[in-house]
Amino acid sequence: MDVFLQQLINGLSLGGIYALIALGYTMVYGIIELINFAHGDVYTLGTFFSLAILTLLGVTGIVTGPALIVVVAVTILGAMILCGLTGVIVERLAYRRLRNAPKLAPLITAIGMSFILENLMLYWHGPSPIPFPAVIPNPAVGLGSVTIQAKQIMVIVLAVVLMVVLQVFVYNTKLGKAMRATAQDKDAAQLMGININTTIALTFLIGSALAGAAGFVSGVYYGSTWFLNGFAAGLKAFTAAVLGGIGNLAGAMLGGFLIGLTEAMTTQFISDQWSNVVVFSVLVLVLIFRPTGLLGESLPNKV
Amino acid sequence: MLSSPRRPVALGAALAAALGIVLGSTLAVPGPAGAASVVKIGVDLPVSGADATNGIPTRNGVMLAVEQANAKPLPGGLKFEMSALDDAVQGVHDPAQGAQNVKTFIADSAVLGMVGPFNSNVAKAEIPLTNDAGLVQISPSNTNTGLTKGDDAKKLRTSHPDVNTYFRVCTTDDRQGAAAATFARKLGLKKAFIIDDNETYGKGLADVFEASFAKQGGAVLGHEHITKGQQDFKALLTKVHSASPDMIFFGGTTASGGGLVRKQMADVGMRDIKYVGGDGISDEEYLKETADMANNSYYTVAAPETSKLASAKAFVSAYHKRFGSNPGPYSANAYSASQIIIAAVLKGVKDNAGKLPTRLEVRQNVAATQNFDSPIGKIGFDRNGDTTAPILSFYAIRNGKAQFINQLNVKD
Repeated sequence: MDVFLQQLINGLSLGGIYALIALGYTMVYGIIELINFAHGDVYTLGTFFSLAILTLLGVTGIVTGPALIVVVAVTILGAMILCGLTGVIVERLAYRRLRNAPKLAPLITAIGMSFILENLMLYWHGPSPIPFPAVIPNPAVGLGSVTIQAKQIMVIVLAVVLMVVLQVFVYNTKLGKAMRATAQDKDAAQLMGININTTIALTFLIGSALAGAAGFVSGVYYGSTWFLNGFAAGLKAFTAAVLGGIGNLAGAMLGGFLIGLTEAMTTQFISDQWSNVVVFSVLVLVLIFRPTGLLGESLPNKV
Repeated sequence: MLSSPRRPVALGAALAAALGIVLGSTLAVPGPAGAASVVKIGVDLPVSGADATNGIPTRNGVMLAVEQANAKPLPGGLKFEMSALDDAVQGVHDPAQGAQNVKTFIADSAVLGMVGPFNSNVAKAEIPLTNDAGLVQISPSNTNTGLTKGDDAKKLRTSHPDVNTYFRVCTTDDRQGAAAATFARKLGLKKAFIIDDNETYGKGLADVFEASFAKQGGAVLGHEHITKGQQDFKALLTKVHSASPDMIFFGGTTASGGGLVRKQMADVGMRDIKYVGGDGISDEEYLKETADMANNSYYTVAAPETSKLASAKAFVSAYHKRFGSNPGPYSANAYSASQIIIAAVLKGVKDNAGKLPTRLEVRQNVAATQNFDSPIGKIGFDRNGDTTAPILSFYAIRNGKAQFINQLNVKD
């Protein structure tokens, strides 16, 4: 039972990172029906940007006291802004002109953008794993025989908070309304005076900024990164988005946590090497019985 | 020095090589008489990415041997050249790339022998090709048992099961794994959990360790395999921790997860649990990646510690003079492998009255090597292509640095 609870915490922490990445996939898919393959690499870029900011701040280890809050806030916000801008640039360069092209065209450019970002990161830091400073003191809190680390609490809390903020933004603000309108019908939205280019760019900005936050969190959580990190994580996060119902924000979060949990539990009770097999089997089963994912797609019905 | 421009005869050579393969009986293509005074030694090692800290010092060993050979008077204007290729793709050794590199060597008729590869799974992709072309290859570091021994080895010799073109100057994992188990038992360790990377080398080594550790009275609590590109080992290590082992054995390399697993042991409260591995974690990269978690790691290397060998003194000082650093764990092995190929070519030239030997003749001479004086001792090859002087050394990481413990000849 203790091991079960411990794995529950491991799974939720891993899931929190997947969830933050999945939100970006689901937002972009929701609004322009594009699987943004470059999104996983934007997440890795988030770790790289965080590392660069920490280096600028002169942080090489654990930070304590009030400085910790400043360092974390500056790094997360910096990584979010830089990743957000990267997302906007990617959209402007690779997707906007292809918005009315056949669906396959932007899909291919997305794969191309993914390679470009990967190789830029390869050029930046080389192909070896890069150590990432610990930053946050990591006392383990004992709950009975189960221990939960400060880093794990950070991952889970940050994922949930950002999801709630995003939910509020999308459903309770004017810009959020514009996003939903654009997702429903681009042309009609335009006729109603919504600038769809700005709205779509905003979607990329927010989705990529969340990947930036996930990038920082993963750097701190694992203590290392490398340029291909985003490939596997991006694939899992995309799976999370589909599992929860693509286009659905709460679904992406649920999917992320579920996949993290499935991985941890498979490792514990079956074997580590089977975790990917089980994750994708769960996906197949869910899609057979609920083709629109657990919480259902929130896609516009196009006639 | 590292790469040579493609010569116009390359296409012709490729065609001739293809013809040789078709004919079957003529395994190798003699170089064009007169013109071919350059003999190339192909080198296939991972020299970029996480494997580079191993690959580059190893390649330097070949470079030094070639330069030293050219410094001596050679018969008939003969000159040795190193033709080096990288088998790392996106930072990790890659069997498909290794095979591609070997095809490049085979197509170049001036290549009469090759040194490499570094990794056992790459060797598995290369041996069928060199076997087909009759090109001799000597690995400085492949330790997987199945590359030379038993049915596995026979299956790799796809074109000419009776002709072995693959040799190695290091010992094999059946000995390395058993020695690591003995070593762990001597450290007083009783309960081991085994993790491997599911690659040819890592899984092979881990399996031998498992059997040997159990045979020597140790308890094996579990054996797990990780997957390529995996980043999160917390769930796995939580599982390992709940079995409460006093050591983890890792079969694999730093690049395939050996560093990350060790590092994340801190997060699940296993900081003081000992971590034992094979030569896969013997590189600088491991120290860099694990940082403050490097201590309490132990590993074996399938090569002697050159700084402790009288026979290696001249090599170590020449290496230091040439490259300004100490040799890597497999530099002396690569140097010795190159010396063997060079000697085999020179013997062939002598036997052919000044003409270059064929690839098959070079192979023949390499296979006949006995009591060859090299920095790593007097070496020769047995029937399988394995060294007759298998030496293993043991290291511990203390205060962030690798410390030599001892070495032994594990010939049974």
